[in-house]
Amino acid sequence: MTEPTPRESRALYNASGPVVAAADTTRRAALITLFAAIAAIALGYAAAFGSRGTPAWAPWLLALGIPAALGAIMILGATRGDRGVGPLKIPFAFVILMLVLGFGAALALPASEGPLSRLWLGLPARAAIVIYGVGLLPIFVLPIAYALTFETQTLSAEDVERVRELARVNQAERDTPLARPQSVRANEARKPSDNLMPE
Amino acid sequence: MIAGAGVSALLQVALPNAARPAVVAVGILYFAVVLGISVWAARRTNTARDFFVAGKGIGLIALTVASVSVSVSGFAFIGGPGFIYAVGLGAMYIVLPAAVTNVMGAWVLAKRMRLLGEARALITIPDAIGARYRSRGAQGLSAVAILVGIVGYMATNALAMGVVINSIFGVGLGWGIWIGMGVTLAYSASGGILAGIYNDVFQGTLMAVASVLVFLFVLNFGGGLGEISRTILAHDPTFLGPWGRLTPLAALSFFFVFSMGSLGQPQAVHKYYMLRDPLQLKWYPLLKTLGLVLVLLLYFSVGVGVKAFVLSGRLSPLASPDQATPALLLNVTPILLAALVFSGVAAATMSAANSFINIGAAIVTHDLPIALGRRVKNELRWGRTVTVLIAIAAAITAQRSGTMVAFLGIFGWGLFASTLVPALAVGLNWQGATRLGAMASIATGLIITLALETAAYLKVFSFPAGVTASAVAMVASFLVFFIVSWLTRRNAQAEIDPDVRLVMEL
Repeated sequence: MTEPTPRESRALYNASGPVVAAADTTRRAALITLFAAIAAIALGYAAAFGSRGTPAWAPWLLALGIPAALGAIMILGATRGDRGVGPLKIPFAFVILMLVLGFGAALALPASEGPLSRLWLGLPARAAIVIYGVGLLPIFVLPIAYALTFETQTLSAEDVERVRELARVNQAERDTPLARPQSVRANEARKPSDNLMPE
Repeated sequence: MIAGAGVSALLQVALPNAARPAVVAVGILYFAVVLGISVWAARRTNTARDFFVAGKGIGLIALTVASVSVSVSGFAFIGGPGFIYAVGLGAMYIVLPAAVTNVMGAWVLAKRMRLLGEARALITIPDAIGARYRSRGAQGLSAVAILVGIVGYMATNALAMGVVINSIFGVGLGWGIWIGMGVTLAYSASGGILAGIYNDVFQGTLMAVASVLVFLFVLNFGGGLGEISRTILAHDPTFLGPWGRLTPLAALSFFFVFSMGSLGQPQAVHKYYMLRDPLQLKWYPLLKTLGLVLVLLLYFSVGVGVKAFVLSGRLSPLASPDQATPALLLNVTPILLAALVFSGVAAATMSAANSFINIGAAIVTHDLPIALGRRVKNELRWGRTVTVLIAIAAAITAQRSGTMVAFLGIFGWGLFASTLVPALAVGLNWQGATRLGAMASIATGLIITLALETAAYLKVFSFPAGVTASAVAMVASFLVFFIVSWLTRRNAQAEIDPDVRLVMEL
């Protein structure tokens, strides 16, 4: 089997490259959520500058905004091709919910810590919810979900080969500039492969 | 993850003199191993790529342990437990994000940065920003932002090394700074990142072992976590509340800055380039998270344990909260365990210093010349030269003014977060981001962080409880990034090269 020519390789890339609507919808939703979450966090901070001190609702904006922002940026990173986030929607939803419930419980539940408090794995209830629910439980969900879906959702050997092939094509074109028409070579001056990028 | 908070907090500590024979012996053994690894690595460093990104790459386990090592500074061993001792469980919001930050980094950055390394042979974070936006300006601006952060980090790490080495060997702070920086420099300049990585592996292992042993010792000494909690609840129930003595806004603010901000920390993000086989990323987040949990066991157990021991009268009241770890080690634990932890603290500061020296040298010899339209001819030789200069400058700065050095170290984490997270982490995953949006965001993060931190340092301005300059700067940087990108969206697609677009779409 012969190596594909640079032109064939580019055609191969162009045939499989475009992103389709499903992923765009996921990305758009993640971006809107990220923006809204950051705006909510900003509002929470802004409220703290008021003359009467931090209002009671300000921490709630962070308690909701932080899980939303983290979830949104993870979804944005995990979205690929036309598949959106696929089966990862379940672990993402679970962890976002855990963070919201953990922070929410810490804010909403009355302070009941005392010498007679019932302990959960060695800690009083509200502390146990935060330490174990927010700080430990996600460890057993997200990294394992990442590993289990790695080939289908994150990176496959074919993906790596596509990138390497395109790199080889670009390198070959740089190595043989005279083999191409003047117009193509002029356009090459705008290519960033040599790290000297025009503004 | 907590390198930023670490050095500045460590500086507040006047560590007690721990120069006992066992501590000195373990300290000497530690430095001998570091030098041995450095000699081995120097023989394998022949090119600039070897020097800055470890040539053909590092295996999964080594890279994971090294990454854990550079993510944790002496703060996890000294300042952090002291912070818990002072404010209770609210201090845990600095480390709780570790449950999500590594896998978040893997989804958002690791794959795309590693593939950009394949496509373009990139070696720095500004390289990635430059490639993403096809912009020397964005590359140069991000390089300047990182360099400003590194100046502070390096000076504080140099001083922190001096404090720790003085405590172990009793040589005085000045000699401690020069010995620590000299050893770090020896392996940074000779073996570059390769020496750094394998020393990080050794140092990270040492830190994890020391942390787990202290955790087990504290639980055993205190009769289990339940008994420790009962003692605290009888005297100070607020300590074990979900926010400790912090306000909810302050605790949540820590969580925000140390979770989202982790995506902009160059010492950790830079490591993504170095993994030998991109497919090995599969297990990287799980292994790194587990490694971090091990190293952070000491943070929690000493902070909570010492509080209970003091309340029950088993340990004398502390002169200051930062004495929590030293007091436990020198009064309660076996001396060999104390020796391991002191060497672990030295390891943490040296590991962070090495990483920042390497990144700083790459910026000076690689990114800034590219931003100015030039290339350095012999990047390896200049990389070594700049490494020496950065180390010497950091050591001299550390000796001149402790107060100023502490100030420089405060804003490192927040500066990296506010300047890099939107442009890099969102930018590599959103084709609608524009060059102008990225540059405006980086400039916003840089200016707001420096202005607010300086104003707070000079006491001309104070934040309401729970609000920090880092958080405000990061939020502002995000909003500017989105708004400017949206206003200039017409240019977005034209600014992405085909190979970068492929990497972003995979």
